[in-house]
Amino acid sequence: MTTEGREVVRVEGLVKEFRPGLGLRAKRVLDGITFSVQENEIFGLVGPNGAGKTTMLKTLMGLIRPTAGTASILGHDIQESGFRKHVGFLPEVSYFYDYLTGVEFLDFYAKLSGVPRADRPERIATLLGWVGLSHAGDARLRTYSKGMLQRAGIAQALIHDPQIVFLDEPMSGLDPLGRKEIRDLILRLRSDGKTVFMNTHILSDVEMVCDRVAIIVEGKIRYEGQIEHFISSDQQRADVVLANVSAELASTLEERFRAELRDHGQQVEARVPEKIVSDLLRACLEAGAQVLSVTPVRVSLESIFLETVEETTHAREQEGL
Amino acid sequence: MFGRIATIANNTVREAVRNKVLYALVFFAVLLIGVGVLLSTLSYVEQERIIQDVGLSAIRLFSALISIFLGVGLIHKEVDRRTIYTIVTKSVARWEFLIGKYLGLVATVWMQVIVMSVAFLAVSYLTGAPIHAQHFYALLLTAGEVAMLVAIATFFSAFTTPMLASFFTGGFYVVGHLTRDLKQLGSQSDVESVKTAANVLYRLLPDLESFNLTVEALHGLPVTPAEVWFPLLYGLAYISVVLLLGSVVFHFKDFR
Repeated sequence: MTTEGREVVRVEGLVKEFRPGLGLRAKRVLDGITFSVQENEIFGLVGPNGAGKTTMLKTLMGLIRPTAGTASILGHDIQESGFRKHVGFLPEVSYFYDYLTGVEFLDFYAKLSGVPRADRPERIATLLGWVGLSHAGDARLRTYSKGMLQRAGIAQALIHDPQIVFLDEPMSGLDPLGRKEIRDLILRLRSDGKTVFMNTHILSDVEMVCDRVAIIVEGKIRYEGQIEHFISSDQQRADVVLANVSAELASTLEERFRAELRDHGQQVEARVPEKIVSDLLRACLEAGAQVLSVTPVRVSLESIFLETVEETTHAREQEGL
Repeated sequence: MFGRIATIANNTVREAVRNKVLYALVFFAVLLIGVGVLLSTLSYVEQERIIQDVGLSAIRLFSALISIFLGVGLIHKEVDRRTIYTIVTKSVARWEFLIGKYLGLVATVWMQVIVMSVAFLAVSYLTGAPIHAQHFYALLLTAGEVAMLVAIATFFSAFTTPMLASFFTGGFYVVGHLTRDLKQLGSQSDVESVKTAANVLYRLLPDLESFNLTVEALHGLPVTPAEVWFPLLYGLAYISVVLLLGSVVFHFKDFR
């Protein structure tokens, strides 16, 4: 889904330099970053480790002061603090007060965010339910697993019902089920009218939830656009997992549908162009096969991402020569 | 604003209350107050004074140690553990966070001073040592002194490591009890630059000795109202300036 709305985040020519020590040359971590985020979209900032994603997010959150350039959130300069009551934030690694219980933890943030006393218990219970921690509300955070802490962190980011949520690697540390729950939560936020900005290096997550992405490499935005633009229909593939596949059907899949087959014993995985999946499924069912799953495989974002990173690395090496 | 500061202060107290190390420190302080009774048996004279001397000294020493021990990591720990990230990115100004943490720690240390004071008064009562107003003034000023120390530790904690903050705060504690000698040195010097330097340092460094009424308490010497309220007002002003400076430094800090 893509919604063209008003700009809720605007970044222009943002530069951040860190000076490692007195007299040492400053290191430029963000180098003239410019992008925008529209209202009610899920925006992904993608990049390899060390690209500047977290520095970018910290700068937007006011944790780091930019060296040059401007940035605004909801029309307010990021140096201000009043507008932050409409902003939620989950840091990359969630360290929280581990002596608090889940309920105390969320109550602490609810108080700081100005959630009225009467609304707090219901809001806390709702959020614990959303992130799947209803059973652990009375347990101290020190007893939580990494995944549970991550989910508690997301709950604190949402406790005050913000208009825009910034998530730094929200799926990190989660098992597949946990990742799916968080993806569903992010999609739910968008359907509730919220804007989500997420940093990640997990491209499959980006493809599944983001409307637009920007690729950042070595402190510069190398690509920005809608997710559909990355994925031309000709390049889309799907993995179809089948059971009870006869030899005859297997050869039909290969010859008629030009499927790439992988035999997993009881199951066969067929990778085919997404546009012929319906025909393939019909043929399989008619041949008595059982369809176990159909998963879209969008390779093009990964390709563009890798190409972008490689181009940048190559260009730097050329400059070095 | 006050609600947010109070929330941070409450959480700081809660963290301290759930920290077992503190109980150990208070236990040793109370033990030392009790040890005064044993020490007094070594002397045939002034046994009550020895009990009270050891008791008051233990309270002052341990409350100073606790203030420095907890204060030097107060802000740094929040930055290091990144717990601050989710707080100052809400509608919480950095100075509100710093003041909240300060007030929370002062409340924590004061609770410990109260526990130690109750132990001191109980030991004094049980051993028949006299208890008069000067003892309460001395304990009150000890509370004032620890509030000063916590402010100094908080200031250093806002921009340096706990190790360095310990050195600096410990240094201020020691020098703070010698500033009157510094002033004396300046007044007795014939060299104008020494006079000026001593005077400037006397104004900049905390005069912690003005919070020490141990001798008056032990000997029942008269204490004027000004000897109590002046250090308290002076402490309030000094704390305000130190926390203001700490807030300014903290405001411009990058959380990398």
